[in-house]
Amino acid sequence: MSNAIATTVDAEMDLGNTSNTAIVEKRLPGDLAMWFFILAELTVFAILFIGFAVSEQLNAQMFNEGKAKLHQISGLINTLTLITSSFFVAIALNKMHQGLGKQAAQMLVVAKLVASVYIGVKIWEYLSLFEQGIDIETNTFFTLYFMITFFHLMHVLLGMVILAFVTVKAAKNEYNESNISGFESGASYWHMVDLLWIILFPLIYVI
Amino acid sequence: MKLLNINSVNKKNTLSWLWLVALTVLSTYVDVFIELFNVQKSLFIITVLIIVFLKGQQIIDVFMELKHAPKLWRRLLLAYVTLLPIIIGCIYLL
Repeated sequence: MSNAIATTVDAEMDLGNTSNTAIVEKRLPGDLAMWFFILAELTVFAILFIGFAVSEQLNAQMFNEGKAKLHQISGLINTLTLITSSFFVAIALNKMHQGLGKQAAQMLVVAKLVASVYIGVKIWEYLSLFEQGIDIETNTFFTLYFMITFFHLMHVLLGMVILAFVTVKAAKNEYNESNISGFESGASYWHMVDLLWIILFPLIYVI
Repeated sequence: MKLLNINSVNKKNTLSWLWLVALTVLSTYVDVFIELFNVQKSLFIITVLIIVFLKGQQIIDVFMELKHAPKLWRRLLLAYVTLLPIIIGCIYLL
């Protein structure tokens, strides 16, 4: 079977007698359209990341002073929460592959609870900067900081809405091996949000 | 077509998560080691960007399950976490 065909073929999994062994086609998880959307999102963020790096080289002192005002531990906590949330989404997908819709839904709820820590920390971070009199108009560093991190936050919120939709369907056992593409698409989007943060975090907080 | 063991997938996810946590903590505090051993900042930047690639590769192959996807898609995503750190590295170091 060619790769082109394999990308559109649904998973062919046979749980068999042992119930924990599956036969898997080499295929793209989720809808092809979602993957094009993911590529588009990654491209937009790549432009923002490169723009940030170039601006830093042009305004080295301003960016060093700006980074010193950021709370690095909050960036670390946010990275750990997104990684952990992604982990629970991956576990949820495995549960769904086993036909355990309710357990998959529970894992997705845990993933969203962990992700809500990210939102809380991000809001706290913004508020603490506002208290210092820092906002999006302070200088180029903070314009890019607020723009990139808020844009990412919007993606986290959209990801949580998608996961909420998937959770409800999983809890109702509406997914099965021939119809799991929606679940996989939601999970892939969530992992993309995580992937973007692991580049954003060192670029803005560490380097 | 290959056999996939669900338990081994969960084990892989768990190991990948632990690896990602370790790399995250390392990348946050790598500057402490650099200062301790008085190493150049360029090495610090290169180390952090290599960690970005390693973390990206884990997310793409294990969490996104692209290791079992058609090669084109896996390569596209891996190219992203390879080329972007290289471009960023060139901007900072050149």
